[in-house]
Amino acid sequence: MSRISRRDFLKLGSVVTGTLALSNIAPKLSFGRGPSVPGIVVFVFDAMSAKNLSLYGYRRKTTPNFERFAQRAVVYNTHYSAASFTTPGTASLLTGLYPWTHRAINESGLVARDLASQNLFEAVGKGYYRLAFSQNMWPNYFFGQFQSEIEKILPPAAFSLIDEVYGDKFGTDLLTGHRTFEDFLLQDGVPPASLFFGLAERIQMHRAVARVQDADYPHGIPRTGNYPIFFKLKDMFDGLISTVNQLRSPSLAYLHLWSPHAPYIPAAKFWNFFTDQWRPIQKPDHVLGEHILPSQINNRRRAYDNYIANLDDEFGRLLDFLEQKGILDQSYVVITSDHGEFFERGEEGHVSPLLYDPVVRVPLMISTPGQTSRKDVYAPTVSTDVVPTLAHLIGREIPAWAEGELLPELGGSGAPGRSIFMMDAKYNPAFAPLSIASFAMRKDQYKLIYYKGYEQYNGRDAFELYDMENDPEEMNDLYSDNPSIAGPLREELFAKIDSVNAKYKH
Amino acid sequence: MGIFKRIPDWKEIAPVYAVIVLMIYTWTIMWFFWKLPSWLFFMNAGEILLVFIYSVSTNFVESLIILCAPIFLCMVLPRQWFHDVFVSRGTALVAAGLGYMMFLALQFQAKNDYPAIYLKAWSLALALLILSFIVFLAGKISIPRKALEAVADRATIFLYVTIPVSIISAIVVLFHSVV
Repeated sequence: MSRISRRDFLKLGSVVTGTLALSNIAPKLSFGRGPSVPGIVVFVFDAMSAKNLSLYGYRRKTTPNFERFAQRAVVYNTHYSAASFTTPGTASLLTGLYPWTHRAINESGLVARDLASQNLFEAVGKGYYRLAFSQNMWPNYFFGQFQSEIEKILPPAAFSLIDEVYGDKFGTDLLTGHRTFEDFLLQDGVPPASLFFGLAERIQMHRAVARVQDADYPHGIPRTGNYPIFFKLKDMFDGLISTVNQLRSPSLAYLHLWSPHAPYIPAAKFWNFFTDQWRPIQKPDHVLGEHILPSQINNRRRAYDNYIANLDDEFGRLLDFLEQKGILDQSYVVITSDHGEFFERGEEGHVSPLLYDPVVRVPLMISTPGQTSRKDVYAPTVSTDVVPTLAHLIGREIPAWAEGELLPELGGSGAPGRSIFMMDAKYNPAFAPLSIASFAMRKDQYKLIYYKGYEQYNGRDAFELYDMENDPEEMNDLYSDNPSIAGPLREELFAKIDSVNAKYKH
Repeated sequence: MGIFKRIPDWKEIAPVYAVIVLMIYTWTIMWFFWKLPSWLFFMNAGEILLVFIYSVSTNFVESLIILCAPIFLCMVLPRQWFHDVFVSRGTALVAAGLGYMMFLALQFQAKNDYPAIYLKAWSLALALLILSFIVFLAGKISIPRKALEAVADRATIFLYVTIPVSIISAIVVLFHSVV
């Protein structure tokens, strides 16, 4: 029997140790560097309207770094979110389905249970390490529904200064955990349903907020609007960089940031970033709007623009990292938003039935591995196109259930004549036919908007029609004077609504 | 006398606990029904039931924590101050204390933006003083004492429902979210 000498033992020990160390590091180092398996990183910036980005021609220079990214990406210039707020907008992005199909149409709503297995994570498949993060709580409900298809779900308060979110402690039942604690027992804005824990949590929160002092944020620390998560934008981007840096190969990372969603609280340097006296074109108040004064709306717009500039500045650091690490050379990197934001017609924000372009037109840029030049696409596209396109790009079968099409320049043709749809039905029950809702339909140069069931119109149907090529500000309603254009569009939209309602008529 | 021997008999604890349960669970159920119409927009019956089960389990834990307060006082205060009139003074303590918590909860609607006056030391001291006075009167004057004992005694009926439901809920939560 041979004996192992001390020297052999040391050699063996060093080999074992080295192998173990490399096995731990190697996957991290090789993210997206496999010869044939590119990674996918999707960055979603909540409530980022394409109309306020200099990337798309906005008057204020809000996004120099996004423009830098655009130099090596396919830029979609007429891209729409299928909805005007986070729940349906994100659900469409993640499922490739229109809101009237996935039915996550109410605030903090859920994807129809029979469709919950149809999502981006499933489409990409188990060959990928799939990670999901959303600072906005509402997409976390979807992560709860898709939990079996996601390897890692980061808590919504990851990288934040103050974390008062408790639902994620129920690891195997994220959905009920968040719903019970964040939306009920510890709910914000109304008295907590849990008398003891609710009160204790509020006092703890009060003290935590009072303790946080930061010279970068003299006007207060940014927070998410619907749940108590306080954060610094710099920390969030540090967190994103760290997360992307640690991804295994190949990975799909869906990273959804709250910013530039309201409340608009930029760092001190950006608080008065835009000091011009520019006032955009005045538009008449809408009957469904809130009739906010124009001066107030303009101030809010400026605050929003300042916040976007702050976001862009931080994005510049992320972009530097993506370039230096070679991730852009080996991965598909997607930049988009779940919905827009608007400051016009007596309305601001996005909690509105109005579906004008500022609230539904969002950025979409996709950088393909190794891309070195900018490509612009002007054909109308919609958020439901992202899932089939990403599946196609990594060689997966295009999901038959997806209602989107392949994006132009990435497998799709962008042929004219396509109809795309947007809607808002937050006050309509998810399990009932759509009876109170707004719809918009974009087909070629025309956009038809349809208001259905609103009491401001005495429950009657109301329509607007715009020529988006010649009237991009949606100022001249052509509906009454152009029945030959409006009629076919209206009938097509009616037919579509009838078909989606059929499933819910008993 | 050992400190643990100062713990009241379960027959005395039960009425006080029943008052806690009545207030804690009622508060949550009230908000549950306030929330229900919006949930019915997008949640099915099974999902709503699960939220209810998680909430009841939380209520159970809360009620036990709050029960510790009168029992603790019973253990540390002179016998004749609390132990000998446990039901009346314990009931007064939890009813007034939880009532004050309800008042606070109604003031503190937003988590980080509410009247901090209620968290000032003098404000809390004043509340504590009033609470102590109520508890003192509850054991001193015959009519309120008997009334509190009668109410607490009748409230025990709720324990026959809430305790089994809470235990079943806790088991469901355990299996659903941990196991």
